[in-house]
Amino acid sequence: MKTIVFIAIVLASGAIAGLVHGTVNFAIVEPYLDQAIGIENQNLFASGEEEDTLEFWAEYESYRIWQKSGQVLAGVILGLAMGSLFGIVFALSRNSLPGKNDISKAVFLSVIMWVTIYLIPFLKYPANPPTVGDGETVVLRAILYLSFIAISGLSVVVFYKLSKKLNGNKKYLALAGYAGLMVITFVAMPDNPDEITAPMNLVNEFRFVSVLGVSSFWACVGITLGFFWKKFDKTPQMEYS
Amino acid sequence: MSKSEQITRTVGKPPILAVALLAVVFAFGLFIVGFDQGHIFSVIQGVDAYEELYIHELTHDMRHAAGFPCH
Ligand SMILES: [Zn+2]
Repeated sequence: MKTIVFIAIVLASGAIAGLVHGTVNFAIVEPYLDQAIGIENQNLFASGEEEDTLEFWAEYESYRIWQKSGQVLAGVILGLAMGSLFGIVFALSRNSLPGKNDISKAVFLSVIMWVTIYLIPFLKYPANPPTVGDGETVVLRAILYLSFIAISGLSVVVFYKLSKKLNGNKKYLALAGYAGLMVITFVAMPDNPDEITAPMNLVNEFRFVSVLGVSSFWACVGITLGFFWKKFDKTPQMEYS
Repeated sequence: MSKSEQITRTVGKPPILAVALLAVVFAFGLFIVGFDQGHIFSVIQGVDAYEELYIHELTHDMRHAAGFPCH
């Protein structure tokens, strides 16, 4: 496969999966964002920070439309980013991934990445709708969340390499090692410092649809890149020229 | 296969330049959607960008939906 084709199919599969993610979010996450921002506005009126006037709502509507229309575009940008990471990891690990063909290999990798760099960090630091977060703690929360993702992602690589060196049943030691490290990280990392002031069922429903959205990305990116790879790579071992 | 093709052909591992390019796309895209607070437009717009937060507003809903820390 030519290098330019490799880059093109990685970016294309990321963009397609991101488009799906953005569209799914637009359909199922936006109603919850509207609800949460509605509560936020009521809080602003109650505290006297804003007044419940026509001007307020006119301004609100204009930037909400901007924010909502961004959902799909931001999905594509995020898709290009995560798709690039996925493409790099797939290209580096393809020869040792289990699976009959490129599609099953790519799907296998997307499941691993979905669990390790999304689902496990999410369990510790779940998504929150607007009104929950405190603007003062956003940097701290970003550092905590990224650290958990980095620890989980890097340990998968380390334990995966370790498992390659072990034989037979000893391979499970690597899996146990990863699980153990994740439990320690989970317990040791500080909790999200923000208090949840929004109604808990709104927060929980928001989290549920948020997981559906991100999962649609990972499901899509694996199938798409696998499909492109199968179509464009004609050599048994990947060759770049 | 010509001689020059043979030289540039590598088996198994993707070319470092392609990996580097994709790594840049990854870092840049993740920053825009997940973390930008006006930094990117400040390059051309100056300090106003931090007030206007164009990119932040545009990526705002995805930021919440994808689980990134926000407000
Ligand atoms: Zn927000």
